[in-house]
Amino acid sequence: MLKVTNVGKTYGKFTALENINLEVADGEFLAIMGPSGSGKSTLINILGLLDQSYTGEYLLEGKSYKDVNDNELSQIRGDQLGFVFQNFKLLTTYSVYENIEIPLIYSKKEQNKKHELVADVIQKVGLDGKEKNLPSELSGGQQQRVAIARAIVNRPKLIIADEPTGALDSKTSKEIMEIFTKLNKAGTTIIMVTHDSEVADYAMRTVYIRDGRLYNDEKSVKNHD
Amino acid sequence: MTDKILIALKSIAKNKNRNFLTMLGIIIGIASVICILAIGDGFTHTVTKGMGSHNVKNKVILQWEPTSDYNTDGGFTQNDASALSKVPGVDHVKLTSSVVEAGAKAQYKTKNVSMSLNKQPKHLKLIKGTYFTMTGASNGVYISEDLAHKLFKENAINRLISIDGTVFVVQGIYRVNDMTEYRPDAYVSKTIFKELFANQISKDRAKLYISSDANKKQVGKTAVKRMKKMGEQKNTGRYVVSNPDQISKQFTKIMNDITYFIAFIAGISLLIAGIGVMNVMYITVSERRKEIGIRRAFGATSSDIRNQFLIESVVLCVIGGIIGIIFGYLFVSIINAFLPFKAVITPYAIILSLSVSTAVGLIFGFIPSNKAAKSELVGLLKEE
Repeated sequence: MLKVTNVGKTYGKFTALENINLEVADGEFLAIMGPSGSGKSTLINILGLLDQSYTGEYLLEGKSYKDVNDNELSQIRGDQLGFVFQNFKLLTTYSVYENIEIPLIYSKKEQNKKHELVADVIQKVGLDGKEKNLPSELSGGQQQRVAIARAIVNRPKLIIADEPTGALDSKTSKEIMEIFTKLNKAGTTIIMVTHDSEVADYAMRTVYIRDGRLYNDEKSVKNHD
Repeated sequence: MTDKILIALKSIAKNKNRNFLTMLGIIIGIASVICILAIGDGFTHTVTKGMGSHNVKNKVILQWEPTSDYNTDGGFTQNDASALSKVPGVDHVKLTSSVVEAGAKAQYKTKNVSMSLNKQPKHLKLIKGTYFTMTGASNGVYISEDLAHKLFKENAINRLISIDGTVFVVQGIYRVNDMTEYRPDAYVSKTIFKELFANQISKDRAKLYISSDANKKQVGKTAVKRMKKMGEQKNTGRYVVSNPDQISKQFTKIMNDITYFIAFIAGISLLIAGIGVMNVMYITVSERRKEIGIRRAFGATSSDIRNQFLIESVVLCVIGGIIGIIFGYLFVSIINAFLPFKAVITPYAIILSLSVSTAVGLIFGFIPSNKAAKSELVGLLKEE
């Protein structure tokens, strides 16, 4: 799915990432763990093509997107990637349906099937009947389900989740992680940043990041059956 | 596109008060533009329509103008007319007069008064006597209150006066309101006027009817030249070609200039409104950094974002423009009750107003929208 070779990133004199090497296979579920300020978010911003100012090489499906123009980059983000953020990042004045629809507005594929696609993911994340609600009328767990539905509506190959359970209690976190597991089993590659080891246990493999460097790249023994 | 307009409407509706205040400038500006154009168009239309009867293509009008203020009597004679009809290209000549009244001397006993008179109109309101249309060679006369005072001490009805030697019976007296109307000193019957007085009116205008293949300008030039040489009253006046087309054109031009000037003033008010729009768009963009970040992360290109805010700015201005047109329409209906002519709202004025609102939206929305489009994605996603 992706290959990162000697990637580094500096903010002025501060080194945020240094000499990162990472390979993620198709269908893998990877957790990136580390304390705050360790460079986790910087790394996934690069992996999610949100940040293009880095050194080294990053190949997504064998292709480097470092020098492509904004339009192409946006199209790749919209069609191949799905983001889930810690604080859900929903548009507060838009209904559940309208929030989930966003990636489809900008996508060139399957314009005439928008409604079916949205209805399908709403059912997948268990939000039937909540289509017209505003995010403020939902619980934290339900809001994160909306965010997940939005991330998967365009059927991306890779989901990038930044602390997806960071704002949720442990019971709700479990429900959310079960959704991720299901998605992963259905073939979606997932890269998730977390500082919660229980959450990281849902992943096939965990890597650790500290002071901008990646450690302990060992296959998790977790069995995903 | 519909999606984007809906997004814009939604976002405008979210901040109704703020956006309404911003629109107010546009509403006032556009309403003024509509009123100005309606008044201008209505005025130009009325004036040029009034001149329309002169715009006959196959006619050259020659005017005799007195050179001195003391001797204003003069014009074209029958000899002049026959000389003019021999000008190449002229078909026939008709002599007319720029004034329709005749001058005469009225006498009662020993009093002599200079006066103007005309044939009687269809309707006339009298203060004394009864009004009817006199037939044939009737010797009745209607005189103004002013003339009655000059000639008679008391009751003037049924008294006899002599006008240029002919005796008339006073049938009635009318009052002339100098402020609002013009009337001659006396009216006589149509037949009498034609027989006794009409030929006294100097024919200061010659209408040269030209053949269809003749050059209007050339005919006019030759006619003036000929009159300068052999016109019977060339010593007391001069001959010119009167060109109503030209006058009408010049007038329309002046009207247009005035319209454009006032439109320019309205433009300044729209400029100020535009700055308001720019300000509110800057606020909107900075309030919605999180939204921009989300849309960008889910596939929106920077031009999608730029277009979204530009559309929002245009929609805001066009709504203001439409409300402005409605208000303009109301104002025009109101001022039409007071205007001596009818102000008209042309489709051109509406198209212009909508184009101006769209342009204000595009021009003043561009910089804030561009700012939104160029914001750095990672920074946007940090917004809460």
